Amino acid sequence: MSVETVEGSAAPTPKRGVSILFGLTLLGLLLALWLALGLATNAFWTPNNISNLLRQGAMTAILAVGQTFVIITAGIDLSVGAVVGFTSVIVAWLLAAGVPLWLAVVATLLIGVLIGVFHAFGIVRMGLPPFIITLATLTSLRGIGLLITNGSTISITNEAFTNFSRADFLGIPSLFWMVIVVAIPAYVFLHLSRFGRYLFAVGSNREAARLSGVNVDRTIYLAYILSSTCAAFVGLLLASRIGIGNATQAEGWELQAIASSVIGGTSLFGAVGSVHGPLLGAFILATINNGANLLNVNSFWQRIITGLLIIVIVYFDQLRRRGSR
Amino acid sequence: MTRGALRAATGLDATAGGEEQAVAALHSEEGNMTGLHEISHRRDTELKTAVPKGEPILELRGLQKNYGAVQALKPASITFLSGEIHAIVGENGAGKSTLIKLLTGVIPRTAGEVRWCGEPVRLASPNEAIARGINAVHQEVVLCPHLSVAANMFLGDEMKRNGLMRKRAMTGAAQGVLDDLGFNLPADATLGTLTIGQQQLVATARAAMRGTRFLIFDEPTAYLTRQESTQLFRLIRRLQNEGVTIVYISHRLEEVFELADRVSVLRDGTHVGTRLIGETNEAELIALMINRTIEQIYHKEHFPFGETIVETRGLTGPGFSDVSLSVRSGEIVGLYGLIGAGRSEFALGLYGRHPISAGEVYWQGKKVEIGNERNAMALGIALAPESRRDQGLCLNLPIGLNINLPVFRKLTRGLTINRAEEAANADRQIRDLQIKTPSRRVLASAMSGGNQQKIVIGKWLSHGAKLFIFDEPTVGVDVGTKAEIYRLFARLLEQGAGIILISSYLPEVYELADRLHVFRQGRLVASHDYRAASHEEVLAQAINA
Ligand SMILES: Nc1ncnc2c1ncn2[C@@H]1O[C@H](COP(=O)(O)OP(=O)(O)OP(=O)(O)O)[C@@H](O)[C@H]1O
Ligand SMILES: [Mg+2]
Repeated sequence: MSVETVEGSAAPTPKRGVSILFGLTLLGLLLALWLALGLATNAFWTPNNISNLLRQGAMTAILAVGQTFVIITAGIDLSVGAVVGFTSVIVAWLLAAGVPLWLAVVATLLIGVLIGVFHAFGIVRMGLPPFIITLATLTSLRGIGLLITNGSTISITNEAFTNFSRADFLGIPSLFWMVIVVAIPAYVFLHLSRFGRYLFAVGSNREAARLSGVNVDRTIYLAYILSSTCAAFVGLLLASRIGIGNATQAEGWELQAIASSVIGGTSLFGAVGSVHGPLLGAFILATINNGANLLNVNSFWQRIITGLLIIVIVYFDQLRRRGSR
Repeated sequence: MTRGALRAATGLDATAGGEEQAVAALHSEEGNMTGLHEISHRRDTELKTAVPKGEPILELRGLQKNYGAVQALKPASITFLSGEIHAIVGENGAGKSTLIKLLTGVIPRTAGEVRWCGEPVRLASPNEAIARGINAVHQEVVLCPHLSVAANMFLGDEMKRNGLMRKRAMTGAAQGVLDDLGFNLPADATLGTLTIGQQQLVATARAAMRGTRFLIFDEPTAYLTRQESTQLFRLIRRLQNEGVTIVYISHRLEEVFELADRVSVLRDGTHVGTRLIGETNEAELIALMINRTIEQIYHKEHFPFGETIVETRGLTGPGFSDVSLSVRSGEIVGLYGLIGAGRSEFALGLYGRHPISAGEVYWQGKKVEIGNERNAMALGIALAPESRRDQGLCLNLPIGLNINLPVFRKLTRGLTINRAEEAANADRQIRDLQIKTPSRRVLASAMSGGNQQKIVIGKWLSHGAKLFIFDEPTVGVDVGTKAEIYRLFARLLEQGAGIILISSYLPEVYELADRLHVFRQGRLVASHDYRAASHEEVLAQAINA
């Protein structure tokens, strides 16, 4: 599940095989869940429910991919949920002020970039731990959002914008397409470009990376900017989906994103992670929530199941990693 | 710090990683107030029941270790005699450290038997090994950098009163031990602020003061200068006189002949023989180790010097001041000095890692401000740093990524990396330097110490630098590969490069450097042409005797 999955070419080695195995295990788990739910309830395999599931999972998946970049550098971004809520307010506010749609979208994404810049500035220049600086933005962004909206919500009247999340393309919800739009460049970035390698190197040993000519500061900026921008993008999608801007939305989504990433094989110690892992992780979580709803399982149980799942998957992943010891 | 390493360091069979746990270890472990005297007393009482000198104390019978498909140690049967100094030699990756980790309970064995004082023992955890009096100073320092020297020495074995740690008493006792051993180290300093060599001495002191009956040194002198090595040898002999059995691993055969009573040779995980030291010689050991002979280790070719590549004038920065020297194309400039003399700091300053406070750097005649590492690389400087763990390698990433890290820019075509070239470059360095690995995808952490060192060197060879700074390039590297690395130097010189060679091992700089500069306390105090001064003179200048 780390870079060895993608590094180099041809002949498969044991390492590579094992990593692919983990990816396949996750995929198998996801399919098994779908199969089981299909058998357990008639409501699961209905077009409506599947679209719903894909929409639900899409937003966490995008957040998780952004989060993974940060975690690979041995950092953490606790602010993403707050950024989602905050940017939903921003876009609603801009649209209400009569700003053209395209400009509102670009401006909102730009705000995401700026939040990432701020995080990296705090980490690189002020020497703050990532946990602290992103925790600080988590609370203050919610505050600023509430100030802007005066504690209430801003409704969005722009039809084109709100219709987007309901639309389908080739029978697949547009929100899910957005996952693909994010995942492909993310894959190229992380696994095929040198910047991806630099993320791993910085997460593994900063000093060695620096002495090898890696611009460590810039790499950290890049990671946090990508994470916040992904979050701002999700903010747009959420605003489109619920038709309002509300600073308290997306409560706890940062934990969902981190959980998806970790289930997908990312190591919180840094230097281990991929793009496909967190995607699968996000959809596994979404499936569990969806299934629990369909089966009328108490939502408290959903949380417990999610917690157990994290423990089980990460435990087995660690066993696998330690296997060669 | 790996979990295994931490376990080894604290002697705790812990499950969670990280320093918190090491700190937790400071607070755990019930009661028993163990002061220094109690510790040495414990050793005395144990020795009364000990095996008589010259009788087998530890026997390996078909001991074996596989890492997945890698046979790190093939069934080995070696007997260690009570009170002897038993050296183990072998090429990089021969299985020496693996053997040690098995004996200290850091890793589980795959098969075989270990008999301690005649009884089979499991050695399932570091705790068990320590309880039996088996201790080791590992190849890589496995202590806690954020704790003080004293706290590290007492880690897992703290002095306590009513459950509270007696910090001052421990610092005092630790200082006593250090002074007694003749190590000039402050017990209250934070470990991380010491050089690697000094940390190694702390690890040695730590092992020496526990109730040790069997003490293993895995390349203890790799980072030590001659003076510090001498202190260490004195300590080893003293321990031997007290009845401790010593296992001594080193790539420096002259040390083996100086210290050991017997020597065992490993080759490719196989125990190929044990000799009495008086009945063997270097040539035989080398032949056993590598299955061929080497005529000449220090391969020195003289090339005509070309233009001056770099010149520093009065360069001053953290840890060094007023250093003026120059390197010409085709020239090896050696920097010798004691540990902490400012050689590595000078190298890091020249490379742009540390800020320069005064003085100038001229690159091919033009004044330059280097400022950061990337500018240094762009000019054509390569630095293979001193500490492979802290500065040289991304240990939990593949070997291939480590080798290619400085050159990813060159491997990029458009947006993406050319993966065929990436693979080819990694494989070429692995082949040229004979890095012992089944694949470039193996993590660097799975390599033996010497093979890790080769990765540190290999990553700079395709960068096309004009000036190579090698800081302790042969630490932990076996004789055969050493000779290869020296030959590689000659190849670089032939291509018109210049080399700054920093080494704490005098014969190396002495035999290879066209010009030898001696550092003392951050200053360049003397310079000699090739073989112009004697070893003694150079040493005297380094220690100001
Ligand atoms: N954790 C590991 N996983 C897989 N292989 C390993 C691991 N640790 C060591 N090895 C392999 O086991 C073999 C023996 O390694 P070991 O560290 O014992 O060598 P060594 O004799 O100490 O060498 P050196 O002189 O370089 O320190 C090597 O081939 C090494 O690559
Ligand atoms: Mg070793």
